[in-house]
Amino acid sequence: MLRTDEILSTIEMLHAEHLDVRAVTLALNLDDCAAPSVDHLCRKLRSKIVSRASRLVEVCDRVGAKYGIPVINKRLAISPVCTLLAGHGHAAALHVAKTLDSAAAECRVDFVGGFSALVHKGITPADAVVMNSLPEVLSQTNQVCSSINVASRHAGINMDAIHQMGHVILRIAQATADRKGFGCAKLVVFANIPEDNPFMAGAYMGAGEPEAAVNIGVSGPGVIGSALKRRLGLEKNLTLGDLAEEIKITSFRVTRVGELIGREVAKELGVAFGIVDLSLAPTPTVGDSIGEILKTLGIAKIGAPGSTAAVAMLNDAVKKGGMFASSSVGGLSGAFIPVSEDAALAEAVSEGHLVLEKLEAMTSVCSVGLDMVAIPGDTPAETIAALIADEMAIGVINNKTTAVRVIPVPGANPGDRVDFGGLFGSTPVLDVRNPGASEAFVHFGGRIPAPLQSLGN
Amino acid sequence: MSDDHPGIVAAVTSAVESLGGNIDACSQTVLGGYFTLIMIVSLPEPIAPDQLAERVRRTESAGSAYQVMARRALASSGFSPQEPVDRFVITAFGKDQPGIVRRFSQYLAGRDINIVDLYGDRNRDEFVLIGQLEVPARWDIRMLQADLEQMGEELGFTVKLQHENVFVATNELRLTRAPHPPSRAGMRL
Repeated sequence: MLRTDEILSTIEMLHAEHLDVRAVTLALNLDDCAAPSVDHLCRKLRSKIVSRASRLVEVCDRVGAKYGIPVINKRLAISPVCTLLAGHGHAAALHVAKTLDSAAAECRVDFVGGFSALVHKGITPADAVVMNSLPEVLSQTNQVCSSINVASRHAGINMDAIHQMGHVILRIAQATADRKGFGCAKLVVFANIPEDNPFMAGAYMGAGEPEAAVNIGVSGPGVIGSALKRRLGLEKNLTLGDLAEEIKITSFRVTRVGELIGREVAKELGVAFGIVDLSLAPTPTVGDSIGEILKTLGIAKIGAPGSTAAVAMLNDAVKKGGMFASSSVGGLSGAFIPVSEDAALAEAVSEGHLVLEKLEAMTSVCSVGLDMVAIPGDTPAETIAALIADEMAIGVINNKTTAVRVIPVPGANPGDRVDFGGLFGSTPVLDVRNPGASEAFVHFGGRIPAPLQSLGN
Repeated sequence: MSDDHPGIVAAVTSAVESLGGNIDACSQTVLGGYFTLIMIVSLPEPIAPDQLAERVRRTESAGSAYQVMARRALASSGFSPQEPVDRFVITAFGKDQPGIVRRFSQYLAGRDINIVDLYGDRNRDEFVLIGQLEVPARWDIRMLQADLEQMGEELGFTVKLQHENVFVATNELRLTRAPHPPSRAGMRL
């Protein structure tokens, strides 16, 4: 029999602290949709997505209701389209993207990720088609998301690909200038991209995955923040060790809920259960914020010395609780610090407490990188490429996933406020210091070799 | 039943022992300072229920009075649902008023939903009700939830009906339970 105090404590988590399941992502392999004719390819694509995913939203809603836990986002992740586009050209890429967009809308999912290419060691003609089509794809579709992997622990850092992406990102921003460069919010440039990530915009289905799988993103930072505040309200003289323990316990509970829902959704859809991603993904809602947690941990101004240590402790404690809760953990599994999507981080930027360089330092100990960072629209392509290269170096050297999702806002200057709407939030434009000063470095091109696997200091 | 104090279980069990009896099962609850104990005992010699109750009553310690009732144990293990059921938890929070437990329990009884455990507590003006339920699988849970939430709204209560596995998952290390088929109802899977 369940104990009353346990029931009451779960009820408090669910209803007072708004525990939810942040994302249920159905990953689908679409390689068997390949065809020499683009029309035929797109017909197969639409047919497969609709037949496999049309019940996703209904099943998530039903399972969520049974447990009294809402599933906020329902998404699709597909095998990378660079495989499907082998032997095809630019027009085909656009046609495929629009087919994905309409199939996603038909299934009522929020986003479809996987308009992707893996170019960490080299760029195939199909990869180039994907990369060069992004300005049109991301400006002419609503739900399609893209990820490009430009670096890995084993291959090193492909500086040619990074240089190209610097230019592509500026072209996407120009193509969506009427939406303040919003197209760039649907593109993530990765080092060590995970194959089972359920979070957008970087979700795609990797080559080692099954035909279909359900991957789960757990609840956001609000639950952890509330648990910390409650503990601090009840007890005095707590140490950081005590607070880490509280985070760990809460993460355990949150992860168990994610796995419970994920396994049942997968069973009902007749597909494999993949992983629970332990990432804490903030939303612009006040309180649902990594920045708020850092403040609760005693960092009065986010970006002040101590911020990196605080986020490292949070990230580690979340992983420890989650790893004990589930044997199927994967994806990104770290605390995200997406600036525009986290009200407290955006406020810290606007007050001048948090700058690009400190954000970069924090990403060396958490997920996932320079995320939802608005920069001036006139930032040179080579400087954007160098920003990417820095972040990729953190990932490659430290054997972790890192990523860049920057938005060069056309016509905007540092300090200007931009609003991307909804879950994407709003942020001041961050200052990029020393623009143009990395040009010669980027122009060398080639590949930064893979790092040593030993002598790891 | 007795006012709660140390030594009641020792006194009652010594009466059972003096008759050469063995305790097969027991369960104790304390509510509002009142102690209640229910026991199933096996005795080597037949004894009338009234005599057994009297033997237990005689063990009372000074200053307390035991209310004791004895009856023959049921041959079966009690109510067992005849159709597939699943375990849910109902929780209701709101401003206390007479009739809350009756309203909800009448609704549940009307749908053949068995209450396997019930907890209610008033703290100043606030009342909390928690019931662990066996819900026949034939019902659409979302319809039951809609009815109960509507009833709660009329009473000024926040009412939730949720599958028990969410409470197991968030509080216990063990894995969640599978639904209970009728033949194994009541067993811990």
